[in-house]
Amino acid sequence: MKIEKLLHKLQAFFDTEKHKKRQHIEELKRILLKLKKKERKITYILQQTDDDCLTKHYQTELEIIRVQRKKGIEVLQQLNERKKN
Amino acid sequence: MHKALLLIVIPLLSYGFWLSEEFKGIAAGVSIFLFGMLSLEQGFKAFTGGVLERILQKTTDTTWKSFGFGFLSASLMQSSSLVSVITISFLSAGLLDLVAGIGIVFGSNLGTTTGAWLIAGLGLKINIAAYAMPMLVFGVLCLFQNGKQLKGIGYILTGLGFLLLGIHYMKESFEHFESAINLAEYAMPGVKGLLIYTALGIIATIIMQSSHATMLLTITAVSVHQITYDNALALAIGANVGTTVTAIIAALGANVQGKRLAGSHLLINLSTGIFALIFIKQFGIAVDIISAKLGIADTDNALKLATFHSLFNLTGIILFFPFINQQVTLLERIFIEKRPAIFKPIYLDPSAMDFPETVVESVRLESIHLYENAIHIILHTFGLHKRDLQKNDSLKQLIDQNTQPIEYDIDASYEKRIKGIYSAIIAFISQAGFTWEMTQSSRLSWLREANKHLVEAIKDTKHLQKNWGRARSSTNQIRIDEYNKIAYQIVLHIQKIETFRHKIAGNELPLLSLDTLKASIKNDDMQMNRAIETLIRERKISPETGSSLINDSAYMRSIKKDLLKAAETLFLHRNIGDADVEDQLSLNETEINDVVHTMDTQ
Repeated sequence: MKIEKLLHKLQAFFDTEKHKKRQHIEELKRILLKLKKKERKITYILQQTDDDCLTKHYQTELEIIRVQRKKGIEVLQQLNERKKN
Repeated sequence: MHKALLLIVIPLLSYGFWLSEEFKGIAAGVSIFLFGMLSLEQGFKAFTGGVLERILQKTTDTTWKSFGFGFLSASLMQSSSLVSVITISFLSAGLLDLVAGIGIVFGSNLGTTTGAWLIAGLGLKINIAAYAMPMLVFGVLCLFQNGKQLKGIGYILTGLGFLLLGIHYMKESFEHFESAINLAEYAMPGVKGLLIYTALGIIATIIMQSSHATMLLTITAVSVHQITYDNALALAIGANVGTTVTAIIAALGANVQGKRLAGSHLLINLSTGIFALIFIKQFGIAVDIISAKLGIADTDNALKLATFHSLFNLTGIILFFPFINQQVTLLERIFIEKRPAIFKPIYLDPSAMDFPETVVESVRLESIHLYENAIHIILHTFGLHKRDLQKNDSLKQLIDQNTQPIEYDIDASYEKRIKGIYSAIIAFISQAGFTWEMTQSSRLSWLREANKHLVEAIKDTKHLQKNWGRARSSTNQIRIDEYNKIAYQIVLHIQKIETFRHKIAGNELPLLSLDTLKASIKNDDMQMNRAIETLIRERKISPETGSSLINDSAYMRSIKKDLLKAAETLFLHRNIGDADVEDQLSLNETEINDVVHTMDTQ
């Protein structure tokens, strides 16, 4: 049983298509993490800013990051579902 | 004039005015004359591209026609120097080329000799200065009218009026010196007499500012035998050389083309004078023969002098007229047009042509060079430097606090920093051809578009500059604030693009950062328009100011969009790092619009 499982894992590792999918998911996760960090950073900068134009700019940036993250999470969920199937 | 030189000239002139009344009159005369030149030039500029240009084009499209034009005008105005002065202003306004200008000078040299015939034959004396006052009155009247052409006529009339008034003042002030010239005192034979009388003719014409007046004086003196006939011939030659001084004074306020024409006038008249002095005996014989044929009595020295005047000017024309093009070449070498140092391309090496990838990279690097220059121009328009972009929080303060007028010539900077590089890039892309794979061709095409966006951004900045400059000197603080806001938003956008460049270098999700910049452009535009509408509604700004602000905020939007499009093409490599995944998360136009809309309703 153990050998069978090991072989299965090896087969999956050497399967290029699956490997690519896995890599894609990893990259997506990394970008989402970066976006999350960026969101925190911008929120902090926004609290420090008293300039109207800059405030508006950072608010826009935050909103854009939120939508990008939402989009990213949806893509990630779809990829994970496909992986399970 | 250089400011340091001005500091020396002003005290010197003031001292001169204190010392001598005559000097003050002469200086005032020269100043009024030069002001007249400026006014005349301004007037002719109003007609560029219109009727006057068409008339001048038709009447001066060949050198013979220019010659005829000069002859007729000088005959009618009875002043070759006035014709030269007007021609200089035509040239300075770009209505004529140098060849046509020289043709007119030749014609006016012959035209002015009709004056000697009128004086000698009919005893006529035309005082052109008498026209100054009516010209000034009618000129000012036209200046107060609304139409562009009427204003142009006004400038021309006041210009002519001031020219004549300036000459009048110079003459009046020189009268003191004029009385010192007693021609009879210097009567002498031989070469010495010839040279001295030529010099006297030059001096008398400079003093009286009219060769016509010198000729009148000479003809009168020779007819009463106050001077010898030979001395009178020398005086006529001197008058012909001296008359060029008026054109030289006029050229002081003219551009290089005007200076070239004044140089040509001096060259032609001086060469003709020297030629006439060398062959004075032969001229004497020729005059006798012609006079006999015309039925002029051998003793009628006045008419014989008029014949000589026409003959030696005609000889000058025959001798030098065929060499107009050579004269132009010579004058272009003497009076070199100062062009600003032009920025040259750095990366467009012909050896890069051999490989498609190197062509693309060379064009990209050169386009970045162009981008840097475009940013330089935009920032300088708003009184800033690129180093100011690093001062994160103080950008707004820098713009608000700078209340001094900013005189930045965008056109000159465009010529210097953009045109040369832009043309070189376009030429390089065209030479590269499109024989390679589609990838390279399309990348070159994108780069060409990026360059076009940069040029458009500069053009829009120029449009914006006019109203921004006006607004800064306004008394309405709200208007000033709104225009400063426009400037600030553009500068802030440039700063954000610089941050975007750093994000590419640090691979900090550059592609996704673009979405924020795109959304910010839309958002800022919407906010700006809404703020303007509120200000108009609350009567804090006039509807006229409001409409200008709306137009200028549209320029702001275009500048930002163009810069961003250029930056995207120039700085973003879509094939590096997480570009594919980033692409998947980046927002499309509809999604960006949704974000802007959501923010607007919050």
